[in-house]
Amino acid sequence: MLISNIEIVPGHRVLRHLGMVQGNTVRAKHVGKDILAGFKNIFGGELTAYTELLSEAREEAVARMVAHAQAIGANAVLNVRFSTSSVTAGAAELFAYGTAVVIEEG
Amino acid sequence: MPIELIVVVVLAVLGYVFGQLAERRHFASIRRREREYAELLTFSERRPPPGRWQTALVGGNVVVSVDYFKRLAAGLRALIGGRVSVYESLLERARREAILRMKEDALTRNAVMIMCVRLETASITKGKGDQISSVEVYAYGTALMR
Amino acid sequence: MSYENPQQPDGINVSKTHPLAEFFPLLTVVVVAVVGLVALLSLAAGSLARLVPFEYEQKIARVVAAELLPPGGTHTDTEGYLQGLAQRLATEMALPPGMQIHVHFEDDDTVNAYATLGGHLVIFGGLLDRLPSENALALVVAHEIAHVKLRHPIVAMGRGATVSLVLGSLFGITDSSAVRSLIEFLGVTSTLSYNREQEREADDEAARAVLGVYGHLAGTEALFELFRNMAARDLARPPEFLSTHPGTEERLARLKALAAELGVSGTVTPLPR
Repeated sequence: MLISNIEIVPGHRVLRHLGMVQGNTVRAKHVGKDILAGFKNIFGGELTAYTELLSEAREEAVARMVAHAQAIGANAVLNVRFSTSSVTAGAAELFAYGTAVVIEEG
Repeated sequence: MPIELIVVVVLAVLGYVFGQLAERRHFASIRRREREYAELLTFSERRPPPGRWQTALVGGNVVVSVDYFKRLAAGLRALIGGRVSVYESLLERARREAILRMKEDALTRNAVMIMCVRLETASITKGKGDQISSVEVYAYGTALMR
Repeated sequence: MSYENPQQPDGINVSKTHPLAEFFPLLTVVVVAVVGLVALLSLAAGSLARLVPFEYEQKIARVVAAELLPPGGTHTDTEGYLQGLAQRLATEMALPPGMQIHVHFEDDDTVNAYATLGGHLVIFGGLLDRLPSENALALVVAHEIAHVKLRHPIVAMGRGATVSLVLGSLFGITDSSAVRSLIEFLGVTSTLSYNREQEREADDEAARAVLGVYGHLAGTEALFELFRNMAARDLARPPEFLSTHPGTEERLARLKALAAELGVSGTVTPLPR
């Protein structure tokens, strides 16, 4: 599956547009990690545990978007965009969306 | 002087000392890596240069937490308004770090340039009061490989 | 078409001001603004509260009496004695017409006494037990009557409500608990000096009233000696009664100066047991 956030695939023609596909996941922060983050809250700096958590969550959102695209017979998702929002205190939604297309092979 | 005010002062001093130290070190690291990866070009332009390219979606993220001093300064600033300059440097650091991580991702794929770079900023833990306040920046784009 | 990434200058997106050079002026402005706002508004509220007729104050007191005052009826002897003492002092103090004093006795070991809305005084058992003479007790009662005469309870209510309003609206702006505790500290301390001024006024009124009734001030300094002993015994936690008041030494010095100025001495009246 080809994923890209530009609108074309250089050197390939788009044969069919299959509409928008999306994937999302909502993740809450881990309590144990949150205590460590509390210390970071005094000194500042990167919250590595959160960086990883969100990175994994974003991968999951992409995987779900890809699953949608595969289900409708696409072989590429173009013009992909990401969006993050804090749904409630302590939980974030990761959202990925794009256009599912069929491109010519080769 | 009530005890909670003493705690505020102590935490603010700790936050200032360690926060400033970390910030200076982080900026130094950012500058060094920016020079190192200078050959990998980035553009927010949507159209890739003409030709036949392999493409891949690449991205990098970072979550940074505000130190106690900055939060206090921003809290005071909120009372009278104006530019919250202590947060400017924080977000600048986070954005440049996210872009560098995206570049690192692209470099592992031997990319030549990254097109259509998009940046996303989200305050992921918008808690009440003293809850952790931190910001995530995610940079992503399409890496072009020959 | 050519693609390149020239090196960009650093620091355009970051303010050049040093964080501390920004922080301290900011802190100063906030401190001055909060203290000024609280002082100005509570002063205005206090002056307005003074204009409330005493009858209205009595009406308010009737509504909240159950919460403010100890239930009466169990210590009628003590209350009768205290009421008689208060009456003598009140006559001496020339209270405005319609201003009546009601003394209540709270059978509790707390060393305290206070005046509240509507001319009600509350004397605690702990204080009564520790006072050596009627003269010292008279100084306490006169001090509390002076608060009523000078309308301090209603002024305190008006100011208190205003300060809470100001602090509450400032709390609404920020959700930082550090900033909140700073604002609270400023709000409380900026009203303390006013409270101390009220206590000095009440002390002076009380000394004059005791002088009028007994003809001398002998035995009254025992009150401040009691406070001093208590403070010495309990360094970590001075009684609440004292925290908003001027220092015991200062009050004792003022009283002694007044007594010395008059140069009269007399016999101390014992307390009936």
